[in-house]
Amino acid sequence: MMERNPRYDRHYVLAGFGDAAQDKLGTARVLVVGAGGLGCPALQYLAAAGIGTLGIADGDSISLSNLQRQVLFGTPDIGKLKTEIAAQRLRSLNPEIEIAVFPHHIDTANALEILSQYDVILDCTDNFASRYLLGDASFLLNKPLVFGAIYRYEGQLAVFNSAGQNGIACSYRDLFPDPPKPSDVSDCNEAGVLGVLPGTIGTLMANEAIKLITGIGTSLSNRLMTLDLLNYDQYIVEITPKPGTESKRPRSASGFRQTDYEWLCGTAVGDIAEVTPEHVGNILRQPDTVFIDVRESHELPRAGFDHLSLPLSEIKNNIPETAFRNIIVFCQSGKRSLEAAHLLKRKFGDAKNISHIKGGMIAMEEHDYGKTD
Amino acid sequence: MMDVKILAFGRIAEITGRTFTIEAGDTDSLKEAVGLRFPELAQTKFAIAVNKRVINGMTAVSPSDEIALMPPYSGG
Repeated sequence: MMERNPRYDRHYVLAGFGDAAQDKLGTARVLVVGAGGLGCPALQYLAAAGIGTLGIADGDSISLSNLQRQVLFGTPDIGKLKTEIAAQRLRSLNPEIEIAVFPHHIDTANALEILSQYDVILDCTDNFASRYLLGDASFLLNKPLVFGAIYRYEGQLAVFNSAGQNGIACSYRDLFPDPPKPSDVSDCNEAGVLGVLPGTIGTLMANEAIKLITGIGTSLSNRLMTLDLLNYDQYIVEITPKPGTESKRPRSASGFRQTDYEWLCGTAVGDIAEVTPEHVGNILRQPDTVFIDVRESHELPRAGFDHLSLPLSEIKNNIPETAFRNIIVFCQSGKRSLEAAHLLKRKFGDAKNISHIKGGMIAMEEHDYGKTD
Repeated sequence: MMDVKILAFGRIAEITGRTFTIEAGDTDSLKEAVGLRFPELAQTKFAIAVNKRVINGMTAVSPSDEIALMPPYSGG
């Protein structure tokens, strides 16, 4: 038994927990991938609980619209790296644990090396490419994966690669064998999300990690819970092994490193050039160039520069001819514009230069650019 | 074939409503019927649970079953 630390007194006196469970937390290594809406509360509770080593992986910087739900960050932190600020806050919360920072996105080149250093992985990412990548990597390494995902007012929670009472360990692919089509996907940027939702689901992810490490309670291994914050309806379903999943995922480390998850999940930019919001001003002055808004006509804010309006729904039916050689499409978050750009590319081939504005109006607003009321 | 009760989640529920009934005898005909009644969902991928157990192949359904359609969420 380790020496008692008064910091964890409420755990020591907790019936069914005590010194034994606290000691397990103290030697555990937990990796949180994504320090956003889900990651912030998960990290806070795991650090407070005294997880021995806590890894944080995220390549993003803090932006104003994150602050509605990403509670580790403050207004003065805008523009700084999420991992840097998160580590700073967590060290102040609990300087007695080790915090390891990976200030870049998890990809197929670094995932296996990083994940293999940890006992439990939390998937707090916000896109399917990262979720399938983490699902496959944790399956290959046989590491328990605590999965949380959110949509508007509903959250999903599950534990994968962790044997249930029947000895079977299901993976993310047993639930969702194939990534959805890009047109079926809407992220928080586009669909919106109640700020409390990732707070709730992220906190429950920390709870599942603590249960896995200490062995208390019954984990959500091989089960998926959906929770609706509007009425607290909770729905738990059992997951069983799905035949054929082995052909859908890489079978080896080298196969994993060669897998292109961005492409599999339809998010690959391919030959569509991305325009960053900072460069929009330069491009506006280029000759032979047109900007096209592919949002529906009622969507706000309107762009504060000359542009045509041609909603994606119309582009899908008919693409009109245009005299301009350079076409830059944009939408709210950069998702529909990418789809529109691919449709335009299919029609015009190399006759036109097609690009889209990365991050769309949301990113332009954050750069205070291109907006009118 | 008889009407079966469906519980929908996420984006699916926004299109179908939280609950609806549809005529189907098994999960394959159910998917087809959903795609016909709601064309926006014809290409949508979702997990199907019958009586709170995610199916891993075609499964017979009857009016006494509780069927749930669950799309994957990606937000975080």
